[in-house]
Amino acid sequence: MINFIQSILYGLTIGGILYIISIGLSLTFGAMGIVNFAHGLIYAVGAYALYTVATLLGANFLMGAIGAIAVSIPLAYLIERFIIRRLYGQSIDYAIIATYAVLLIGADALKWFFGASPLPISDPIGKLWYFGGLQMPAYRVIIIILAGLVFVGLSLFFKKTLVGKIVVAGLQDREAVRSLGIKVEKYFAIVFIIGSALAALGGVLYAPLSTLDPYMGFEIIILCFAVVIVGGMGNLRGTAIAAFTLGLVHSLTAVYLVSSAADAMVYVVMAVVLIFRPIEASA
Amino acid sequence: MGESILATSGVTKRFDGLVAVDDITYQVSEGETAGIIGPNGAGKSTFFNLLTGYFRPSEGQVHFKGRDITKRPSYERVMMGIARTFQLVSVFDSMSVMENMMLARVRQGQDYKSKTRFFFKNAHYRGLEKECADALDTLGIADKADALTGDMGYGEKRELEIAIALSLNPKILLLDEPFAGLSLVDIAHISEVIKKIKGQFTIVIIEHKISKLMDLVESLCVINEGALVCNGNPQEVICDAKVKECYWGKEDMVCY
Ligand SMILES: Nc1ncnc2c1ncn2[C@@H]1O[C@H](COP(=O)(O)OP(=O)(O)OP(=O)(O)O)[C@@H](O)[C@H]1O
Ligand SMILES: [Mg+2]
Repeated sequence: MINFIQSILYGLTIGGILYIISIGLSLTFGAMGIVNFAHGLIYAVGAYALYTVATLLGANFLMGAIGAIAVSIPLAYLIERFIIRRLYGQSIDYAIIATYAVLLIGADALKWFFGASPLPISDPIGKLWYFGGLQMPAYRVIIIILAGLVFVGLSLFFKKTLVGKIVVAGLQDREAVRSLGIKVEKYFAIVFIIGSALAALGGVLYAPLSTLDPYMGFEIIILCFAVVIVGGMGNLRGTAIAAFTLGLVHSLTAVYLVSSAADAMVYVVMAVVLIFRPIEASA
Repeated sequence: MGESILATSGVTKRFDGLVAVDDITYQVSEGETAGIIGPNGAGKSTFFNLLTGYFRPSEGQVHFKGRDITKRPSYERVMMGIARTFQLVSVFDSMSVMENMMLARVRQGQDYKSKTRFFFKNAHYRGLEKECADALDTLGIADKADALTGDMGYGEKRELEIAIALSLNPKILLLDEPFAGLSLVDIAHISEVIKKIKGQFTIVIIEHKISKLMDLVESLCVINEGALVCNGNPQEVICDAKVKECYWGKEDMVCY
């Protein structure tokens, strides 16, 4: 029983990180119909920025996290300004090719700077917390709490702010927002940058649970696409539910079935959802 | 009638092989209420989309008050005073009626220019609530201000969409089949609203059935297979032989 609860908590950790990374992907996909592989690069850059600040420069983990977000914002701006914006209204194939190229080039640049061998990041807290008979690394608990905060923060953002309101409207009907005189792309760009900063944060949070390697972005982006497809493109709540569900599937498969099947099981769930979900009229 | 407010010269729109709008030269005069009719797939909505900037024409120009606006994006044209409604009602279902109205005011106040607004509901919002309530009242849906738009009937959504377009301070209002999908009661109501507002600014209405337009418009234009068949006084247009051939043949209309 203890074991089971523990794997649930581990699943929620993975789910929380998947959520934080996927939200930006889901919004770009839902709002502009753009499949953005470059999102995986931002995630990897976030992790490497953490490594640079915390390990190479010897600052602490928090400084590393701040550094990661600080690097991701101008990078996301450049990607939006020079690549994503040119893909609006184009065929989805162009988006896949262009953003995949960014991911490839970026990953090779990371390899060039940091080498191909995996780099470890140690658990910044390194403490276990005990709840009854349950023991849980404090760091994982903090990730779950952080994911909850991001969810609440984004919900408020989309409900209360002008940018959020316009983006929600734009998710439903871009042209209807333009017909109010609003340049909707500008607001999508703001949200694109927020989503990218969150991807960088995801890279930071995941780093201590795994190791860094230049191609880490490829792995995560496929998992995140599964989240976005299960949760519904541009569906904020759906993305959260899908991320946590798939995180649990991942963790429970690893513990109770075969650990190497954990990723595969996520895609099985995605396939099942795709088969049984009614096709939406707008799609 | 006044001067030309919105005009096209030789606009053509092609989709791959299909010519949806074929070399249309057209103009509406300031203050006029004009109708555009044509059978299914004639290219009426596509023509509207060229006027609003949703599409760029493959050839030809669009002029607004003498200015070439062919390359202006749709959101800029709205700010010049070209407002529209869509053939399929488009309002924001996940928001309340008042929030829909307020979204339309985002670019209307001083507030927008300062670019400092962070919250959707701020002092500016509160100041405009009364004004928006009045606009809703014009359409007879003031009591729905707090309703969730998604819960309203199609007719009420159409009324809201028109209220939104009116609150954009239009100089010209383009209505794409405003009666489509509505009950007879709603059609009569929208018709009354149009009669009430006509004359205040220029209005262009796309319709399928000519009967609904006869007592609303001062000029009528017929589009068939992408091309403008004729344009002028509604009575004369109806009796035009060419029109009878392309249009009434199917719909069995009589000359007035
Ligand atoms: N985005 C598009 N891509 C390709 N073809 C299009 C597009 N929009 C319209 N068409 C085609 O252009 C032609 C004209 O369509 P349009 O919607 O303008 O007709 P309409 O006169 O508004 O018809 P209706 O009365 O049914 O609304 C049709 O053959 C339609 O299939
Ligand atoms: Mg149409």
